[in-house]
Amino acid sequence: MKFFWGDGEKRKKELDEEIGSHLQMAARDREARGESPAEARVAALRELGNAGVIQDVTRDQWSWTWLENLLQDLRYGARMLMKNPGLTLVIVLSLAIGIGANTAIFSVTSALLLKPLPYPHADRLALLWLRSPGIGIPQDWPSPGQYHDIKTQNHVFDDTAIAIGGSYTLTGLTKAMKVDGIEGSSSLLNMFGAKPLLGRTFLPEEDRPGRPDSIVLTYGLWQQAFGGDANILGRSVTINGKPRAVVGVLRADFTLSHEVIPTIGEIDKAEFFLPLPLDAKDEANYGPEDYNIVARLKPGVTTRQAQADIDIIAARLREEKHRDRSFTISVVPLMEQVVGSTRSSILILLGAVALVLLIACANVANLLLSRAAGRQKEIAVRTALGAGKSRLVMQLLTESILLSVLGGAAGLIIASWSLYLVHAIHPGNIPRMDEIGMDFRVLAFTLAVSIITGIVFGLAPAYRASRVDLNAALKAGGRSSRGSGGLNVKRDKLRGALVIAELAVSLTLLAGAGLLIRSFVRLVSVPPGFNTDHVISMQVSVRGPKYTQEAQIAQFYQNLSERVRNLPGVTAQGFVSSLPLTTAVGWGPLEIEGYVPPANQPELQVDKREATPDYFHTMQIPLISGRAFSDSDTGKSGQVVLIDQKMAERFWPHGDAVGKRVRHNEHDTWKTIVGVVGVVKEYGLDTDTRMVVYFAHAQVTEMTMYLVARTTNDPVSVTDAIIEQVHAVEPDAPVYDVATMQQRFHDSMARQRFATAMLAAFACFALILAAVGVYGVMSFLVAQGTPDIAIRMALGAQRRSILSLVFQQGMSLALIGIGAGLLGALILTRVMAGLLFNVSATDPLTFAGVATLLTLVALAACYIPARRAMRVDPMVALRYE
Amino acid sequence: MKQRYQNRIELLQGTLDLLILQTLRWGAQHGYGIALAIRANSGDVLQVDTGSLYPALHRLERQKLIAAEWKTSENNQRVRVYRLSATGKKKLAAERSRWAQISQAIAGILGPAGEESEA
Repeated sequence: MKFFWGDGEKRKKELDEEIGSHLQMAARDREARGESPAEARVAALRELGNAGVIQDVTRDQWSWTWLENLLQDLRYGARMLMKNPGLTLVIVLSLAIGIGANTAIFSVTSALLLKPLPYPHADRLALLWLRSPGIGIPQDWPSPGQYHDIKTQNHVFDDTAIAIGGSYTLTGLTKAMKVDGIEGSSSLLNMFGAKPLLGRTFLPEEDRPGRPDSIVLTYGLWQQAFGGDANILGRSVTINGKPRAVVGVLRADFTLSHEVIPTIGEIDKAEFFLPLPLDAKDEANYGPEDYNIVARLKPGVTTRQAQADIDIIAARLREEKHRDRSFTISVVPLMEQVVGSTRSSILILLGAVALVLLIACANVANLLLSRAAGRQKEIAVRTALGAGKSRLVMQLLTESILLSVLGGAAGLIIASWSLYLVHAIHPGNIPRMDEIGMDFRVLAFTLAVSIITGIVFGLAPAYRASRVDLNAALKAGGRSSRGSGGLNVKRDKLRGALVIAELAVSLTLLAGAGLLIRSFVRLVSVPPGFNTDHVISMQVSVRGPKYTQEAQIAQFYQNLSERVRNLPGVTAQGFVSSLPLTTAVGWGPLEIEGYVPPANQPELQVDKREATPDYFHTMQIPLISGRAFSDSDTGKSGQVVLIDQKMAERFWPHGDAVGKRVRHNEHDTWKTIVGVVGVVKEYGLDTDTRMVVYFAHAQVTEMTMYLVARTTNDPVSVTDAIIEQVHAVEPDAPVYDVATMQQRFHDSMARQRFATAMLAAFACFALILAAVGVYGVMSFLVAQGTPDIAIRMALGAQRRSILSLVFQQGMSLALIGIGAGLLGALILTRVMAGLLFNVSATDPLTFAGVATLLTLVALAACYIPARRAMRVDPMVALRYE
Repeated sequence: MKQRYQNRIELLQGTLDLLILQTLRWGAQHGYGIALAIRANSGDVLQVDTGSLYPALHRLERQKLIAAEWKTSENNQRVRVYRLSATGKKKLAAERSRWAQISQAIAGILGPAGEESEA
């Protein structure tokens, strides 16, 4: 350890000289007392001792003592840990689980919330959304007219882009392919920093009308559809029947997914880009609210400032375009857009794992305290030999940090396993899933957490050790001086406090998990309004020159329906424009004959869906009154609609809805309500539905519809047969989003299920740790109190009274902990309110339930030590004294 | 061998440091001089082991309680001379009162001869 000393050689020589002069002076003194020079020299040498060793030991004093101490402590610590491998294993394992869980959740947090999005100036990018909460529209896409106003009137953006995404059909290859693409202004790709691998991106003037039709492919589509053709530039590809020249291929690392830019066409990610030509007429068109607006804030402009500027534009639009009073345009930073509602769940999970680690710390501290009790003599001896308090504390802390770093290393393994599992399960709706993994940030976090953990759980035992009563400890001859004789938890306040804290934190976690479980049970028991069993569903689309007339489209779906209905195993089949629990949506204004909205209220907005007659029968959506659509409702007959019960109760509470008339707007013909159907949970079980009007598909056609078919056997078994029929009717019709309704139902709760499962797992772990904690402290108490118990028994105490004494002691700790935990939970579960469904964050039943559970577990944990206490043989026990 | 010396240092640590500081209170002195002074002042009871003395001196120097410099003695010999620093003086005062407390406490425990008993 001398390598830190710069001028080591010089000092060595000086020390040599110093010892030499000592020797000479001693010899001279001896000579002066009359010894012969030779005698004096030998005697002085003998008196001095081994000069080499003296120098060696002296030089040790120069070295960096803290470092030397640390190494010494580490060596010593490792020896101590090896001496008790069982205890070490238990401690390292519980720390590994605690730290591992934290690492896993942190790597999710890090990928989601800390890592910047892979676009230049991503922190300045924002999406713009329309909001009209007053009429039940939390978020809607803007129109080209609004884009034009924002682009020309804002003072806060240095660039803006408009885009619309959707599914297209790519033909001209061996088989028609459904491909997803985005049409956008030329600025779009630049704002997201897309760089071409081949060719170029769009030129600034390429999004004006009258330019040649061009297309930019992503790397993925280029590889997949064109086999990475090196001569792709200039090649013509046919999109929705229209030839387009390839002008560029983007680099492989560029992606633009629905998480970043959720298009109205619900595409998963863009596979190609087209220019979006907007002419003067488009720029004044406020009708089609189907577009995304992306903006890049000027440097130094905050989201708040941008919002204030856009508020002015929104206020003008509200006046000029007669929007409802709650209408706003909101500026959503890109990160917020991507992470959105996941943030709160992730932060709650992060908090929960931190609590688990805290419990693990308390437990390990307790284990170390038990061991420290056995080490009092060792510590007393070291103190007597001159070891300072701070030195002792440092040594014990080194030991605990050694433990926690070992635990952290094992935790990394556990974390990578759990991340692998998370990837394998792939809980729905977790954004940026592919980016989740171990990186330097996660490793640094784990190291920091490990060291802090070691300090946290090491402090209590170290503090205790530094206050060892020397006389008592040495006199007791190795036996612990503490607690001998007393069977009272109050004698060991520190351990008692640790167990109380453990129980309190466990209760908080249990309460959180209990609330989520209860809320999940409520969620699952919400009737979706249709029968999910034995139904297969898929989206089918027709486009191109063959389908320009409504009748042609209606004919396609009718032909398809007849073919699918006749397939073996299919009992019913229907079509609907937006299927429940999918991302397909449709809504708009509605006029009701004879109903004039009050002057200060916005126009009526309802969900609008087109359906074929057998849709309701197939999904088993109940008909409440009137009739369903029939095959005789055609383009030539009178226009008819169905409404759902929610709308019927709102406008015709006396059950007289049938026969009333509604229409889209004043340019539309009146349509007669012929029936009322049940309410369907369109947006997920936890979301309130809006009023719905169903239009007969034969009268109001849609090019893209969801096909549903009820089957006698496993619905998956007929999937291929159905797709075959689609292509038999129209080879170029793409089929996508194939899933059973059961699967959609299951997936719609994926996030809740994931959060519930995670928190329940953490709570379970907390419960086990708390049980171990209570058990540990009670066993220790009984072991220490054995002489006391023996004396009581010798004096005639009943075994039952010993049993109840132990229970009393243990449960007094447990009840304080549970009481404190209830208080803590009352405060902490409030942060979960947003995750709960139909359950209050302070649900008394849940709180009572988890308190009872924890009490039972504490009782069970006291039972074994209590039995051991009861079986103490007074004769054997007292003989040891 | 080295191990044996270290043990002795540990046993004497604190006490030896105190004695060195106290000795230097009367003026700068070299190692040999310090050893002689401690022996003389204790009436030949305390024989300072060289193997403990030099490590202690160098440790105290590192802790900046004492400072060292090379001088030439009356016998024209180069010697390393130690003197008490300002912090060393403070430390000495503190250690003296601590020592007084300890010895009083130990005396109290030991008590007058004959009253010793084991519980």
